Order: sequence, then C-alpha cells, then structure tokens
Amino acid sequence: MTRSRLVVTASFAVVSLGIAVALGALVLDPARAAVGPMPGEGLALPAGTRFVVGVDVARFTASPMYQKHAKKADVTPEAFAELEEKTGLRPDRDIDQILIAGAPPSANGPERGVVLVFGRFDRYKISRAIETEAGEGEKKKDVSWKTVEGFTVYLFGEGKGKPGALSFLDDDTLVLGPLASVEEVIANRNGSRKGLAENAELVRLLGTVKPGSTFWMVGDQTLLSRMPSNVPSPMGGGQMTLPALQSLVVTGDLDPEIAMHVTGEARDEAAARQLADVVRGLTALIQLQGGQNPALQSLATAFSVNQEGAKVHLNARLPYELLDQLKALGEKRKATSESADKTE
Amino acid sequence: MSADEKALPPPVPFLRAARAVFDLSLEEMVWSRKSLVMAGLLLMPVALAVLFRLVANLKHAPAGIDLYGLVVAMYYLRNALPLAALFFATALIADEVEGRTITYLLSRPVSRASILCGKFAAYVVTTLTLTLPGIVVCFFLLVTLRGFSGVAAFVPDLLRDLAVAALALCAYGALFTLLGVLLKRPTIPGLVFLVGWESLANLPGWLPRYTVTAWVRSLISHRPVDEGLAELFQTTLPAGEAVVVLVAITILGLAGAYGIFSRRQFVLDQ
Repeated sequence: MTRSRLVVTASFAVVSLGIAVALGALVLDPARAAVGPMPGEGLALPAGTRFVVGVDVARFTASPMYQKHAKKADVTPEAFAELEEKTGLRPDRDIDQILIAGAPPSANGPERGVVLVFGRFDRYKISRAIETEAGEGEKKKDVSWKTVEGFTVYLFGEGKGKPGALSFLDDDTLVLGPLASVEEVIANRNGSRKGLAENAELVRLLGTVKPGSTFWMVGDQTLLSRMPSNVPSPMGGGQMTLPALQSLVVTGDLDPEIAMHVTGEARDEAAARQLADVVRGLTALIQLQGGQNPALQSLATAFSVNQEGAKVHLNARLPYELLDQLKALGEKRKATSESADKTE
Repeated sequence: MSADEKALPPPVPFLRAARAVFDLSLEEMVWSRKSLVMAGLLLMPVALAVLFRLVANLKHAPAGIDLYGLVVAMYYLRNALPLAALFFATALIADEVEGRTITYLLSRPVSRASILCGKFAAYVVTTLTLTLPGIVVCFFLLVTLRGFSGVAAFVPDLLRDLAVAALALCAYGALFTLLGVLLKRPTIPGLVFLVGWESLANLPGWLPRYTVTAWVRSLISHRPVDEGLAELFQTTLPAGEAVVVLVAITILGLAGAYGIFSRRQFVLDQ
C-alpha cells in the first residue's frame, strides 16, 4: 500500500469508527425513551398539557447567575441546612431536573399545572417530615394523606377547597401540584391512561428541542393564543398587530453568558416574515436609540433573527457584564429623571 | 483506414482510464506540500478542541453542541471547505498546464472526460480524507464536554454535517474545476468569488440564492449568532431545494469544465 492510500485508509477508518460509535450511542443510549430533553418519565404528564418547562438544576446552580443571586438571597448550603436535616434533601445537590407542565384555564376547568422533580430523595425522611408536620399543633389539619392507585398522596390544605398534593412516583421522581393533576400523573404512570404521549403536537415540539440546555420550554397554540396580539409600536403612535404563533420553543444556557434560542412557528411563511421583520425592526430601533451608548449598542447586536419557512429563530447572547451595564444605565436614568422632577 | 490510424492503440475504456488517472492524481494530491498545509487548516479545530478540553474550566464552558455547531457552521462550511476546494480543484488541470505535464496526459489513448472525472474523484477523496476526521473528532471532543450521556441526541447532527461537508466540497469543487480550466490563473478570481460574491448570502431578498454558501448553510441545523449584515438578514433556504441546487451546481460545473477542457488546445510556453 502506498503512503497516500495509507493516509486515505486511516482517515476513513477514523470516520467509520466515529460513525459506528455515534450510531452505537444512538441505539444503546438508555435515554432514548426520552422525548427531546424530557426524560421518559415525563410522558406521565397530563395529556391536556399545553406547555412544558424544563430546568437542568445542576447546570443552573453551576451558572454565574445562580452563584451571584444565591449569595444575595442567602441561598447558600448553610441556608439549606435546616431543610437537609429535616428531609435529607439539599436541592442544589440532590435535584437533577425539574419539569413544569401546565395548561391555561379553559371552559371545562381551571388553570392546571403539575411539577415533576427528578433527583435523589430520602423517601423515608421526607415522608416522615411531612407526616410529623401534620401532627404539630395548629398545622395538624393542613396535611393529610391518602392512597391513589397504590401511591401515597400527601394533601396540603385539604379543607381550603383546592388541595395541593405531593407524591413519590419512585425513589427518584416526585410529583407536586393540584390533587387532580397529581392523580392524573399517577394514573398515567400506572398505564391507566396514555398521558402526554396522546398529545402528538406537544410531543412533536419536544422532539425538536436539543437536550443539553440549562432551561427549555415548549408551548403550543393554545398557550400562545392568550398572548396579546397587539403591542405598542416601537416607533410610537398606535399599536401594531403581531401574527399569531402556532408554537414556541425556547432553549437557553446561563453559562458563560445568557444564551437563548427562541423558535416561533407562524401559520405561514408570510406571517413568519412579518414577525421576523418586527423583531429586526426592534433591534434596529435599539441600535438607533443606543447612539453612542456602548451598552445599548451591544444589546442590539446581542440578538439575531433568522427566518426559515414558517419558522422564526431568535438567537440572543447576553454577557453578564452587559446586563450589569444595562442595570447601571437604568438606575442612572431613573436617578436623572427623579432629580429633574425635584427641580420642577 | 490509413496506416497511421492503424498504428494508434485503441482508446482505453472510460472507467479504466478514469481509474488510472484517479490513482495517479491521488498519489500526487494526498502526499503533497499543499495537502500538508490544507491538513493543518482543516484539522486546526481538533487541536483547538483538545486545547479547550485541557485548559478551559469545563464547569463554566458553554454547551458542547453549541461549540461544535460554531466550528462546523462558521469554520468548516463558511471558510475552510471553500478554501480547500479552491486550492485543490482549481489546480486539477491548471497545475498540469503550469508544470507542462498536460502533454503526457493528453497524448495517451484516454478520453478527456476520463481525465477530468479521474482528477475530480481524486480531489473529492483527498478533501474528504482531510476534512471528515476533523469533524468527527471535534464532535466527540466538544459534545462530550460534560460526559458521554446525551451524545445520542446529537448523532443525527453529526451525520448531517458529514453529508453536508461532502456535498459542499463537491459543489465548490466542481465550480472551481470550471474556473481552473477557464482561466490560466484561477486562484485570485476564486478568492474574490469566496470573499466578495459569497457575501451576498448575508443580504436580504433573493440575493442569497445566487450564492453557494447560502444553500450550504441552510442544510445544517446549527445557527450560531451572526454579526453585521448576516445578523440582520440571515435567511435559511428550504433544505430539499438546497440539496437539488448543490447537486445541480456540481453537475453543471463539471459539465461546463468538460465542455471547455474537451475543446481547448493547450499550447505550452517554451
């Protein structure tokens, strides 16, 4: 074999090996039952869910944003000490992922929502803490429990009409929310109902979200129909109508800067173009108004808009320094306007 | 039939001739100084990815798939691959002319079509040899920044990127092969095309459709944040249409190159 042939063969061997490993990961990855970034257990969410929000807690707590605000809000490991002593749970250490699912109020019923928490829980300690709480003085009647399809469901504020509920789906999964929603999740988990798998549109949207983000959100048309379609024109003088969105997908990271990718799907290409133009107009306006102010100039360039058929993609990258600059700018303007008012 | 015509050996069948030209060209192309430079260019992201993994604080690093997307979209597809295509494809015939070795090829009983096809196939194999391992290694180095779990979700992206890189090399290669047979010194016009004409992809309206890069960019799923005009007017063209256009560019480019190469008389300077 000549040297050239050897190089070609070696190169194609590397590529073939890479593809084989990648395909192996695709076939063998235990997370393949997941839909997009949502673990397979998430399919127990109610079928009527209209939006799902996911937060990767490990990434969130590692982000500069959390580090900064945790210090301010005294959310330090010491602050969790009491909770940990009582329940064995330290949220920043033991919780991996949180899923928040919900649906806006409809003619058939009130607003619904449920939270799934994935992590490592000391079931005995948490259950004991809840049950002990039920037996203490004035709070005695606030907490009760019952069994639903073999699962212990703890009820909070049962006497107040709309009790909140909590239950362990397994050692690693906790469900919280209104009793009706928690019962539905348990039924879905047990296979009595199909759950979120029945909601083809939301499952499709979830499938478009790439795993690996610190936070993400998908919402369908029902959720978005409640958003205002008329917004004040950035040029002043009246309002402008935004085209209705069919779906919205948001993914974002907080480290090393705030990075967000928003994909909105309009009803057709023309509506998407209109929406993209509105967003471009807004960023151009910020750029114009920014004048010589580097913070506003940076803010305008932090966004980029891209249209792809009926979809509009909005990318945003906001460094923390820029947010600090904008905050300082806002405070400065507020102080200026206050001093001007005093002078008048 | 004249005595002279009788003396001529029969023409070598197309496939055999193309294979022979391919073998010869591959030997010259893969193990050459130009390939070494191009290998440096095309494998640079691998070195940077290794350095990044060694030096960067992975806890605060951006998502691996974002970095990988940036490497593929911004480095490979927009810059490195068109440049590699320019330097290899424009030289397919031009180097033979400049080195005055074209006579040896043309005086053999092989068709000009087989020469062009053999050389183009050698170009494709050489550039794929230098490009694809870089993309694969970068994928694994960057996407596994926070561990191997979750890699499966990005495998379709890797496969798509490899296919798009191959398609981009074919389309740019065919275009620059045409330029190589059309012009005596095609490198500067090729660079002007890449830097000037391809910038139309950042403008609004129909202009991006007249560039190669806009079609190539539309085929991948990575959409890194752009700056300047690209940020304002970034457009994504339909993927199906993009495949058809890139295949058409490849076929038309090669057909055009063959049309010129088959009729051209090569008068070598003394």
